[in-house]
Amino acid sequence: MTSRTSIHLTINGHDHELEVEPRVTLLDALRDHLGLTGTKKGCDQGQCGACTVHVDGQRVLACLTLAAQAQGRSITTIEGLAEQDGTLHAVQAAFLEQDAFQCGYCTPGQIMSAVACIREGHAGSDDEIREYMAGNLCRCGAYPHIVAAVRQAAMEAAS
Amino acid sequence: MTVHELRTRPADSKRGDASDGGALAGQVGGRLSRVDGPAKITGAAKYAVEQQLDGLSHAVLVESTIAAGRVRSIDTAAAQAAPGVLKVLTPDNALRLNTATDWLGTPPPDVPYCPLARDITFSGQHVAAVVAESFEQAVAAAALVKVSYDEAPVIADLSDAKAGDGIPVDAMTKEWGDAEAAFAAAPVRICAAYNTPREYQAPMEPHGLIAQWQGDQLTVWEPSQWLDGMARTYAEWFGVPFENVRLVSPYIGGGFGSKAFAYGYGAVAAMAAKMLGRPVKLAVTRPQTFTAYGGRAATRQTVALGANAEGQIQSIVHRGVNETSVDGMWVEPLGSVTSIMYATPNFSSRQNVVRVNSVVPGALRAPGENPSAFGIECAIDELAYEVGIDPLEIRLRNYAEQDPEAKKPWSTRQLREAFAAGAEAFGWSKRSPEPRSMRDGNQLIGWGVAAGTYPVRRAYGEAVVRILADGSVEVESSSIDMGQGTYTILAQTAAETLGVPADNVVVKLGDSRYARAGVTGGSRLAGVMTGAVHKAATAALDQLVGLAISDPRSPFHALQPNTLVVTEGRISSPRGDGPDVPIAELLGSVGRDRIEAKGDTMPANSTPEERYKNYTTIAMALPHTEGDYSRHSWCAHFIEVRVDEDFGTVRVSRVVSALDSGRLYNPKLAESQWKGGIIMGIGQALLEEGIVDRRHGRIVNNNLADYLIATNADIPDIEVISVGIPDPHSSALGGKGVGELGIVGVAPAIANAVFHATGMRVRDLPITLEKLI
Amino acid sequence: MRDFSYLRADTADAARQAGALPGAMLLAGGTTLIDLAKCGVAEPETVVDISHLKGLDGISVDGAGATIGALAKMSHVADHADIKSRFPAVSEALWQAASAQLRNMATIGGNLMQRTRCPYFRDPANFPACNKRSPGSGCSAIGGVTRGHAVLGTSEACIATYPGDLTVALVAFDATVHLGERQLAVDDFFLLPGATPEREHAIEPGEMITAISIPASAAARRSTYLKVRDRQSYEFAAASAAVGIEFEADGRTIRDLRVALGGVATKPWRARAVEEALKGKLLEPDAVRRASLLAVEGAVDHGANHYKIELAPRVVARAILKIGETA
Repeated sequence: MTSRTSIHLTINGHDHELEVEPRVTLLDALRDHLGLTGTKKGCDQGQCGACTVHVDGQRVLACLTLAAQAQGRSITTIEGLAEQDGTLHAVQAAFLEQDAFQCGYCTPGQIMSAVACIREGHAGSDDEIREYMAGNLCRCGAYPHIVAAVRQAAMEAAS
Repeated sequence: MTVHELRTRPADSKRGDASDGGALAGQVGGRLSRVDGPAKITGAAKYAVEQQLDGLSHAVLVESTIAAGRVRSIDTAAAQAAPGVLKVLTPDNALRLNTATDWLGTPPPDVPYCPLARDITFSGQHVAAVVAESFEQAVAAAALVKVSYDEAPVIADLSDAKAGDGIPVDAMTKEWGDAEAAFAAAPVRICAAYNTPREYQAPMEPHGLIAQWQGDQLTVWEPSQWLDGMARTYAEWFGVPFENVRLVSPYIGGGFGSKAFAYGYGAVAAMAAKMLGRPVKLAVTRPQTFTAYGGRAATRQTVALGANAEGQIQSIVHRGVNETSVDGMWVEPLGSVTSIMYATPNFSSRQNVVRVNSVVPGALRAPGENPSAFGIECAIDELAYEVGIDPLEIRLRNYAEQDPEAKKPWSTRQLREAFAAGAEAFGWSKRSPEPRSMRDGNQLIGWGVAAGTYPVRRAYGEAVVRILADGSVEVESSSIDMGQGTYTILAQTAAETLGVPADNVVVKLGDSRYARAGVTGGSRLAGVMTGAVHKAATAALDQLVGLAISDPRSPFHALQPNTLVVTEGRISSPRGDGPDVPIAELLGSVGRDRIEAKGDTMPANSTPEERYKNYTTIAMALPHTEGDYSRHSWCAHFIEVRVDEDFGTVRVSRVVSALDSGRLYNPKLAESQWKGGIIMGIGQALLEEGIVDRRHGRIVNNNLADYLIATNADIPDIEVISVGIPDPHSSALGGKGVGELGIVGVAPAIANAVFHATGMRVRDLPITLEKLI
Repeated sequence: MRDFSYLRADTADAARQAGALPGAMLLAGGTTLIDLAKCGVAEPETVVDISHLKGLDGISVDGAGATIGALAKMSHVADHADIKSRFPAVSEALWQAASAQLRNMATIGGNLMQRTRCPYFRDPANFPACNKRSPGSGCSAIGGVTRGHAVLGTSEACIATYPGDLTVALVAFDATVHLGERQLAVDDFFLLPGATPEREHAIEPGEMITAISIPASAAARRSTYLKVRDRQSYEFAAASAAVGIEFEADGRTIRDLRVALGGVATKPWRARAVEEALKGKLLEPDAVRRASLLAVEGAVDHGANHYKIELAPRVVARAILKIGETA
């Protein structure tokens, strides 16, 4: 049995129709079916945060979300974060300025997580940022610079 | 699909601050932001397996569930019949491949190579693979492959009684004086055993590849620390010319030593692609990353130090053992720091390797130096307490003024400066010497110090530099950027050499069709490639200036100058008189659409065979003690830990590290890499351990929830201080190594701090809570 | 992951009916089900998506206590102002669990259905023997790598640790699980492994968790959750304690005490012996430490997890002293 289902996803403000098996995760739908590879697969089991996207404005893991489950919700990925004219989101700009990444593979997830972290009000201190960004692993060890970037963007958002 | 091309943004071309000597951001030594940054922060950077190809099929590996024995049979019927399945590969239908040359350049035996095993030597070995139309179908069908085995007894790990003492590695033996006698006669003696477990690279991007054949041409998109080396392996496996294999790896999501070689799963994917006549993607799963290639071998060392009452070392006797696999050889050089860190008149180091049922171990950040430093840097701390001398002071008393092993002067060794700068910034002088003498509520506070070092590995390199009609510059190399900043520092090098703004330079990396490059590992790439780009850019500049002077159509022709200067992309007379024109205008006036120069640092009379060998093996690497000097990077880590006295949990609360990597090509990026090494070292010290089920010879924590790497919450702010000076003996532009250095010495600094906090000496990594309660 | 059909439930009744069919499993946040499906542990034929059901995600707090809808997200409950002020241990247990992303996905009902992290349970391909997964097949963990395994509530059939945090607080404060009309004390909702480790919850086919309720109490208001682990964050507990305390009018004599343990037992573990030993006593560090040893009465280790027997009482004592000493 290979059942396919037709689903409708709203991603970065654009509508997409796709035929997928129900078992296809949102992560694989984005990467393999829609070519939106900015969302990364680091573990595929909810243990690293590389696949962080926003669903209805909340940061979630795309690897443990079925694509079918996301139908009817609004999805934002790293590709949809900057403005249409290419102007970077404040968090993206801060990541570049603070050198908050090296290999870049965890970076889209870190940035999506950081945007939500600030919006949730969990960027009030360095320790709070560390705790609320702990779900995004970075093997290059950019953590202190990620904290600096989140702090900087949070201050810009507050001012 | 093309390799991503990058331009620096004008906004980043700002002046550096005083800490980098005031170098312009766009010049060598400036704090230019990562030029590949915009692509990475917007999701535009396409990593290897993210290429979207028509007709792509998906392969999933089936792994052995026993660690020793033989495959009796493989029942593929259910998998074959599953929806979407295109092929089930087993040893029975696999293509016959050739064995390939190893990385040392050893000619291979004339025996066939099969990446799917019948004889099982470790749990997790590839035994079959399923290729299907979709990833989900391949995963589901792979679970239907039924493998039956005849099991054999397992040698689980170093402590297995069946493992024995192992095989002596004579090449690791280092001896001078009479170490055993001097130790026996020393007034102060300490001797202890230090163990490190299996550790894993765990890059955030799992391994994998897409393989596509077009006729006898193979293209492989695969994250790679060594395109030319891996291309050679694929070419030899499949019996096609080297030129027929193209490796593409524009971005690498972390390697740490694990992405330098083509592994068995690569052969499986390329084989499947050939058999199916379709491109095949094989993404190694996170659990498979623990067995598809090797992490750092588990190690054991004993370090015996004989000293006088003043703490001066009179003898070091060192014995080491590391795990290797049943059918492969990995030597983790455990005496590498032991033999050079401190002056001693008597020294002996010997090492064995022990065969166990595991995948052959591999390189992980500072292989050798890392565990070696854990032994000697803990041991000297123990000696410090034994003789009642400050741990920093005892290191200075035993300072090696020259390489004790090679008996040559250091090219540069700013270790004394590192100790001084680090101690000052950390406030070491305020340390209370007694263990358990510093606390904050339930937390015992400890301060520890340790040194680290890594040799300067040198090799030859080449690059192409092109000045285009619009005055912009292209740099091409098949070297790679896995986060160290290659794109950025090569743009800076070309910009400075040519006199153009860095944002006018496009660096193209990660395609084996570009100018060749050797392995990216051992912190050698920056030194090799800045030298090659500098040479190629200098040649391009010479051509440009030559053209301006000699071409009758050039505005400079009538002036008959001897030379010209290029600054900010404009060419003019050095005296400031005469024309001052943009490069583009000059090229236009002389009717040229480009100037191209290839530069390499190979000896001029090198043969094509030598060049091939240089880029596809490490056989031509230059020893760090070649010639008159011994070349190394150095560092000193000062670390504060807080240990909960009831729970035994250790948290690192403060780190100050002073490092000597020679001249920094880009301090902003070098600091990031140092910190990354330190952070990996914190994880190594406190968290990381591959845990073996000894009955099954299998790693049971093969995932990122159970193999713990540090999270953001585990890491304090970290201060790094550069104490390096340009080292002309180490590289063309004066840099030494950066990437490997930072981790070396972190684990012993933490272990020493834990002792200072608790009075308990933990000699087995990681330092987990049950060892302290 | 094996193929399955996907069914989105529009009403709770439809969800219950669909969920009762053979091979059907309810999907809420997905953080357990999709994970276990990828491991090959869960093999649903039909996934019934209840995450879009309306009206099951409410959080209401009044003088009698808190009622939390089964589809409320962990993060929302953790950040809820009244939960933070009246049930701090509940909020703390939640925000210290998993990661921010997982807490945005995982629901309270799903959290109650969270399953063990025993590595042998999670790897059927390599370890076919697992009584929890395949009744009667044996236990691969016993004799294997046991550092994370339980020391309390184990049986010869299973030593898998219950991994969650929230329910440790719930069991301490006598919360109730609502299965539609049927209600069950949370302590009774979780079953000991005994000879039937495959049966973890007292939930019947066709039932669905609709809400949990937590009665208000002075002890819940003055409570904390202390979680000890190797890593500072994003890790399951090595040992944890939910503790709440109420003093007599003198402010020193313990009137009510609640103690429950996490990370050391096969279910969220209420430590009534510690509570009884200290009720009516003054809060005095040595007495607290002595009484906390009762938390691990009857504990049995399997080698590498022995440290949990040492650690758990220390965590309990620290939590009691911390919450008792703060005004």
